Parts: sequence; structure tokens; C-alpha cells
Amino acid sequence: MPSVSEWYRADRMPHIFCTGCGNGTVLNCTLQAASDMGWEIDDTVFVSGIGCSSRASGYTAADSLHTTHGRALAFATGVKMAHPEFNVVVFTGDGDLSAIGGNHFIHACRRNIDMTVICMNNMIYGMTGGQGSPCTPRGAFSTTTPYGAQEPTFDLAELAVAAGANYVSRWTTYHVKQLTDSIKTGMETPGLSFIETMSQCPTSYGRKNKLRQPLDMIEYLRDHSILISKKRRLEAEGKVIPDTTFAVGEFVRRSRPVMGLKR
Amino acid sequence: MQGNIACAEGALAAGCRFFGGYPITPSTEVAEHMAKMMPKVGGVFIQMEDEIASISSIIGASWTGVKAMTATSGPGFSLMMENIGYAAITETPIVIINVQRGGPSTGQPTMSAQGDMMQCRFGSHGDFSIIALTPSTVQEMYELTVKAFNLAEEFRCPVFLMSDETIGHMRERIEIPDSVDVVNRKELEKGKLPYETDADNPVPGFPTFGHGHRVHVTGLTHDARGYPDTTNHKTHSDLVRRLVGKVESKRHEIADYDIAGTDAEIVFLTYGPATRTVRQIMKDSPDLKIGHINLRIVWPFPENVLKEFPNAKVFIVPEMNMGQIGREVARHTPVKVVYLPKLGGDMHTPQDLMEAYDREKALIGGGN
Amino acid sequence: MKLIIDESRCKGCNLCTLVCPYKIFREGSRLNEKGIVVPEFNGPERCTNCRLQKLYGRRLCGMCQLTCPDQAIKWVEEERFEDMKVVIEY
Repeated sequence: MPSVSEWYRADRMPHIFCTGCGNGTVLNCTLQAASDMGWEIDDTVFVSGIGCSSRASGYTAADSLHTTHGRALAFATGVKMAHPEFNVVVFTGDGDLSAIGGNHFIHACRRNIDMTVICMNNMIYGMTGGQGSPCTPRGAFSTTTPYGAQEPTFDLAELAVAAGANYVSRWTTYHVKQLTDSIKTGMETPGLSFIETMSQCPTSYGRKNKLRQPLDMIEYLRDHSILISKKRRLEAEGKVIPDTTFAVGEFVRRSRPVMGLKR
Repeated sequence: MQGNIACAEGALAAGCRFFGGYPITPSTEVAEHMAKMMPKVGGVFIQMEDEIASISSIIGASWTGVKAMTATSGPGFSLMMENIGYAAITETPIVIINVQRGGPSTGQPTMSAQGDMMQCRFGSHGDFSIIALTPSTVQEMYELTVKAFNLAEEFRCPVFLMSDETIGHMRERIEIPDSVDVVNRKELEKGKLPYETDADNPVPGFPTFGHGHRVHVTGLTHDARGYPDTTNHKTHSDLVRRLVGKVESKRHEIADYDIAGTDAEIVFLTYGPATRTVRQIMKDSPDLKIGHINLRIVWPFPENVLKEFPNAKVFIVPEMNMGQIGREVARHTPVKVVYLPKLGGDMHTPQDLMEAYDREKALIGGGN
Repeated sequence: MKLIIDESRCKGCNLCTLVCPYKIFREGSRLNEKGIVVPEFNGPERCTNCRLQKLYGRRLCGMCQLTCPDQAIKWVEEERFEDMKVVIEY
């Protein structure tokens, strides 16, 4: 059973992520979970699309497929359906998954293919220099929302629940232990497991939104997250929840029919 | 048997075990037949959410070591362009069936055309090379599909079967052989880098997922290790030259055509349905002195075939487009080239071709 | 066990100074040769994992390692002092 350090492609380090980028943290948690699962490196395939988050697949020691923008889930569908014995993990970002890849996302959830999808939601297009994404909070500044984002944001976890994924959770890069446990639970759960990670982008998002330091952004994520159980309780009590917060925790765990199970 | 069914049968005979598709007239019968047959042969059929996903899924499947294909028509083919480039740069063997229909855009869904001939070669951005086969009979739908898979495995590039509505929906009696020659994937040798090549072997072995190669596959410009190296001029230049050269340098070996009447002055160059029309003319008027080239592989273009006609004074190229391959012919010969477009959805009639023949003959002058 | 920061990987984001429950990291004060201010240790002997990992036979805490976006934090075996033979000359 490979140790966690063997899961990294050591000759590619250090990686291209900026100082304080949350993607490295998510990569750590994912590989820790894969190691905890006792998976073999040669039985695992990492698939990713385009964007900062999607470079993560290149830093894993396993076979990895770094594909075109938004199409990671469609490629992963092909890999998993053709060879169900593989453990398939998809790295994606908020723009990659919800904008250009939105159609593939809902259909992968609907098919409930047995794989683990990890979305690094940094609320912005980081690779191209900080443009607004469907997940940019209302009022936040970016290079394409110079007067504050006007569009409502996408709640990806709720979308995955509605589309039919078997396991859906959301954590942040502050909650590394919970995130690791959650990814492991997702890997254990048959069917599509969607783990959304709110991640910091101090370089592009923070710079425009008075959160320039990585510490400030991590504290922002910590302070604006609210446990889903607490949120539901407050909602039941009829209390108002500020719309700047986002729920964290396990959204759903169920056993709908699954495609691409190991034979 | 219908052309599209013959195509699906050919794919199964060649060892295709993954089909990702999306319904589109007039290629749908390929997907329908695959949906019926795949479970019986232990393969996978999946209907994806769009054509982008279809081609993505077959590229993903191909990396696990299976032979994979998709089938589409014009509008879907346009959607696939993005990942045709991806398959080219990652050197993924895939087969794409394009049963062409009238374009641009939604155009004539139920009518025939050959308007995607340039698109299949140059549609995706950047420089790369592909192989395109053009059947003119239902028998060839079967045989050329098998050949498409073999070429894909040999050259590790996207291979297109550029059929059209006429051949796809035509019903003819065909002979299915008991077995066909099949080229299987050449696995990467242990200890070699995933994209390690030399001048003699420009096509690297295939590092199948799960076989311990631990390969990183990326659409970025990559070095021999497969790792992104996007700002190095030499890496990019070497990669693109190899992607183009591995196919183009072998174009005379790959070439597949029939020729007739090599001493003629007026030569028809056809592929697809127009081949049938020329053959009909030659059958009806055996004394007529015409030359004929039927291309079964259009890309890479085998320009040496033109040299087989030393007396040629004119090449007439009947196509169901505005002259896409005709322009390629003109690029390779000093002889006059006449484009004979036929648009609207019907194939060329013998009258169409004879009118052109008579017109050119009058211009050349002299006896028959 | 001993905690080390790999200076060839650290990009100086200082997230470790936030997440360590024992506050064993603090912001550094000198530029290294890559122009990065790598965090410094502040009482690393308080790290539970350094002291007790061997005893419990498993990773304890490990927040800093999981969080470090640059995979720069790891534990290494401490080198034993070599046994020295003292020769007394009369």
C-alpha cells in the first residue's frame, strides 16, 4: 500500500500554484484520502479540465488525463465506463465545472457514475487573471466585474443534489480534516461523489476584494461558512441567514442506482 | 444492408468495444446498431449529452486501451472540433464517422453533401495531421471502417470515415468476410518515455492507463516525458512537426485509390457518390475515352496519383461542395482543374458529368 | 521525529502560522535565496506529532502538513547522536 508521499509526482514539484493558493491544500487532502483508502497508484486515474485547479492532476503520480476546458467529466465518463476497475477522481474548478462544463456536470450526476469529483471553487477564473465566474459572490470585484458582480451565484452542491449525485458535501480549505474525511467518504460511496471545496485565491480574488493575504482569505472562508445542520435549523426557525454565507457539511448521502461499478 | 449498419458491423469486426454517441440525422443508425450490438460483444455503448461529450468519452475510453469510435454529422462534427485537436496532440487513436449532410449550420438534415472535407482536415486550430477515408459503396463502408481502426492504431491520430447521406442510407448487398485483418495497439515498451521517438519511428508506443506507465496526458505542448513545456520553442516546434510529419511523410504508403484510363486527356477525380456516377458512364459508354481516379483516402492527399495520367489536359472534380478537394488537386498539378460542384442534396447524374465532359472536350479540340 | 520546512518548496504564504493549534510557526524575518520569507519555528518541541507519533504509531494532528499548499512541511527521523568513545589519556 503506497504511503501518501508516493502519491505525489515528486519530479514536478514545486508546483505552479501561487503563494497561498488553496489548490495545493485540496491536492494534499485528496491524496491523503486516496492513501487512506488503500488504493493502488496504478489502479487510479486522475482526470481534470482546464484552469488552475486542473493542473493538480499533473502533480499526482498516477495516470492522469489533463483535458480540454469543461470536458473533464465527459472524458472521465469514457475512462470509467470503458474500464470500471479504475478508481477515477476528477479535479475541476468552478468555471470549468459550472460554466463551460455545466451540461457535463449535471449529466454525470444524473448518470451517477462511480467516481469522485472534487471542485476547487475559488470563486474566480484564476488562470486567465481573475475574471468573474458563475460562483463569484454578488458584489465581489473581478476584472470583468469592475463594479461588483451583478449576477446571482451558482450553488454547485445544491445543483449536484438536485441532479442526482449519491454523495455531496462542501468544505473549505480551512477545514482540512473534515475535507479529507469527506473525500474519503466520497471515495467509499458508490456512485458520483461531489465534494466542493471553497478555496482561496489571494492573487486574483483577494487582490480585488481587500483579502490580499492568504491568511485573510482563509479567515474569510472560515467566517463565512455555516454548518448545514445549523443553517437548516435556523431556516426552520424562520431566522434570516446572511446571503454572504455558504453552507458546509454533508448535503446528501444516498444510494440511487449507479453506473460504472467495479465488476 | 444499409451503409450505416455496414459501418457499425465493420467497427465491431475491427474490435471496437466502446461507442459514445449522440443522435443526429443521418448518422443515427450507426449509434442504434451499436446500442443493439455492444452488449452482445461485451462492449460499452453510451449515449452522451452532446457531441463534445461523445468525442471526450471515446478519447477517455481509448486511453484505457479499448478501440473507440463515435458517429455524427455536420453540426455535431463542428462541436467535436475542440477535442479532435486534443486527440491529435495527445496522439489518441480514435475513429470518427461523419455521415455528411448539407450545411452550413443545420442545413439539410436529410440530404447528402460533402461539405466537411476541409473541416475534417483543418477544422481544429493549430497544425496537425489526420487521415480521412471516403467510401463510395456499402461494401466500402464496411471495409474502410475496419481500415480506419487499423490506421488509427498504426498512426495514433484521429481517423475519419467521411461518408455522406447517400452512402449511409443506401442499401446494397455486401459480402462480410469471416475475419478481417486487425491492427492492435502497440504498447509502450517499459523504460521508455511516453512520447520518446526518433526519426525512424515517429509514432511512440501507447502508454495504456493502468499498465504502470504512470503517464500524464495533457493537451498542452509536452516534452518526451508528457509533461507540459509550453514556453520552449523547440519543444513545440518538434512536437508539431512530428504530429504533421508522422502522417504526411507516409502519404504514399497510406494512399488507397483506383485508376482507370491512364492515357486519357480528360480525367475525372472523384470520391464518394460521384465515383458511382463515373463508373456508370464508363459502363454505359465503354468507348468513351475518359480517365478516372477514385480516392478511398483523401487525406493525406496522395498527389502522386495525378502523375499516373501523363496525357491529362484537364482534371474534372465533381464534388457535393463548392470545390474543396478540387482546390487541393489544383495545388498539385499545372494541368487545368475544373470544379464541378453539386449542391442541394442530390448526387451527380451521368448527364451532369457528360455535360462537363463535352464542354471540356470542345475546349481541348481534336478527335475522341 | 522532527518537523522540517522544505525551503525549496515553501512559497511563504504563512498559512501554517494560522492552522497550527500549538502555534509552533511564526512569520519569518529573513529572505532566503529564492527571495521568500520562510516561516520560522517558535518552540517546535510543542508539536505533538513530533513527540508522540512513534508512541501511538499513527499521525497525530498533521494540520500544518495537510494545509501547506506547497507540500513543504514534513516529518523526518531525527538523527541519533553517534556513540562516541572517549579515550582518556593518562
